[in-house]
Amino acid sequence: MNHDVAVHEVRLMGDADWIAAVEICRVCRIELEAVIELAELGLVQLRGGSEQEWQLPAAALPRLAMAGRLMRDLGVNVSGAVLAVELLEAQRELERRIRRLERLTE
Amino acid sequence: MEYRDYYKILGVARTATAEDIKKSYRRLARKYHPDVSKEKNAEEKFKELQEAYEVLKDPEKRAAYDQLGSGWKSGQQFRPPPDWASGFEFRGGARPGGGGGAHAFEEEGFSDFFSSLFGGASPFASSTRQRQQAGRDHHARVDIDLEEAFGGGTRTLDLKHPELKTDGTVELRARTVRVTIPAGVTDGQLIRLAGQGEAGPGGGRAGDLYLELHIRPHRLFQLDGRDVTLTLPVSPWEAALGATVSVPTLGGTVEMQVPPGAQSGQKLRLRGRGLPGQPPGDAYVQLKIVLPPASSPEARALYEDMRAKLAGFDPRADLRR
Repeated sequence: MNHDVAVHEVRLMGDADWIAAVEICRVCRIELEAVIELAELGLVQLRGGSEQEWQLPAAALPRLAMAGRLMRDLGVNVSGAVLAVELLEAQRELERRIRRLERLTE
Repeated sequence: MEYRDYYKILGVARTATAEDIKKSYRRLARKYHPDVSKEKNAEEKFKELQEAYEVLKDPEKRAAYDQLGSGWKSGQQFRPPPDWASGFEFRGGARPGGGGGAHAFEEEGFSDFFSSLFGGASPFASSTRQRQQAGRDHHARVDIDLEEAFGGGTRTLDLKHPELKTDGTVELRARTVRVTIPAGVTDGQLIRLAGQGEAGPGGGRAGDLYLELHIRPHRLFQLDGRDVTLTLPVSPWEAALGATVSVPTLGGTVEMQVPPGAQSGQKLRLRGRGLPGQPPGDAYVQLKIVLPPASSPEARALYEDMRAKLAGFDPRADLRR
C-alpha cells in the first residue's frame, strides 16, 4: 500500500460564504431542481438572478446534505425531506434542552 | 475475507421478488438511517443494508451473487472463484438504477467482499467512473473536542481510497492529511480541501475533500452555535447575598459576580467568552443552588432557625395566583 503524507492549507466555509448552486448540487449529490424546490419550501435561502448566478449560503450545506441523503436513501420526496429535516432539527434542539435541564436538576 | 449473506441482511428469502427486496430495504433503511436512527451501530448497519441492496436490486449482480450458491454462511471465509463473472453479459453505459456517481460514492464504505465481486475492475463496476471528466468530491467526518474548536489545532487524518491502476487492477492507497482546524469552528461546519478528492480521470479536475466537523459533547459546557452554557453550582448564601465566584470558561478561569438575590436557573452572561468568531459567542452561566444537607445537628438547627425567622417566605406563592 502506498502512503503519502501531505500538509494542506484549508478553507473554512463560514457563515458569510455563498456557494454556487451547481457546486452545492455536486457536493450534496442533489439535483438542481430539488435544490430549487427545497428553497421554495423554505429549507434554504437562494439568491441570484439566473440559474448560473444562483448561490446558497455555505451554512446550508449540512441541511442540504441531510435532505439529499434522506431523499436518496429513504425514497422520500422533497416535501417529505423538508419536513423530516425540520423535525429532526427540532428534535435535536429539544434533546439539547432536556440535557441542559437534566444537568440543572442533577 | 468474509462471506456476506445479503438476503439475511435484508431479511428476505432467496426467492424474494424485486418488490419484496425493495420494501424490506425501505423498511430497514428507515430504521437504521444514520440521520434518523437512535439504534446502536446504525451507520454500520445502514452501510450493510446499502451494500446488500446494491447487489440484490440489480438483476445482473443478483444473478451472479446467487451463482455462488446457498451453502455459504455469513462470516465464513471466502475467496471469489477463479472464473468469477465469466459467462455474464453486462450492460454498457450507466450503472443500472441510474445515479452512477452517487452509487460509486456510496460504495466507498462497502466491504472487501463486495469490492472483490462487484467493485473496482470487475465487469460489474460502473463505466461512468471512466467517462467522468472531473473527479468526485470525497467527504469525511471529523470529531473534535470543544477545546479544539475554541483554540484551533492540527489534526492528522488517515484516509484510504481505491485507485484504478493502468493495468486495470485496483490498489488501495492510503494517505495522511494534516489539516489545520481554525479557532472558532462550529458544529457541522465544513472544511474544504480543494483538489484533495478523487483524481479526475483523463486529466480532469480533481474533486475536493470536504471534512464535516462534529464537536463532541463536553463534560462541562453545552454548545449552541458559538454560545456555550455552563451549569454553575452555588451555595444558598452565595445566591442570597451575592458573591464573587471562580467560573471555568473555554479560555480559562474567570472571576464572576453573582448578584444578591440570584435564583436557581438564572442565567448570567459572560460576553465574548464563547467560541471565537465574528462576532464571538458568549458564555452563559446557569446558576444551580445546591443546598447543604441537614445532616449534622448544627446544620439542622440552622434550617430550623430559617424556618422560624423566614416564616413569611412562600416559595409557592405564584401557584395560587
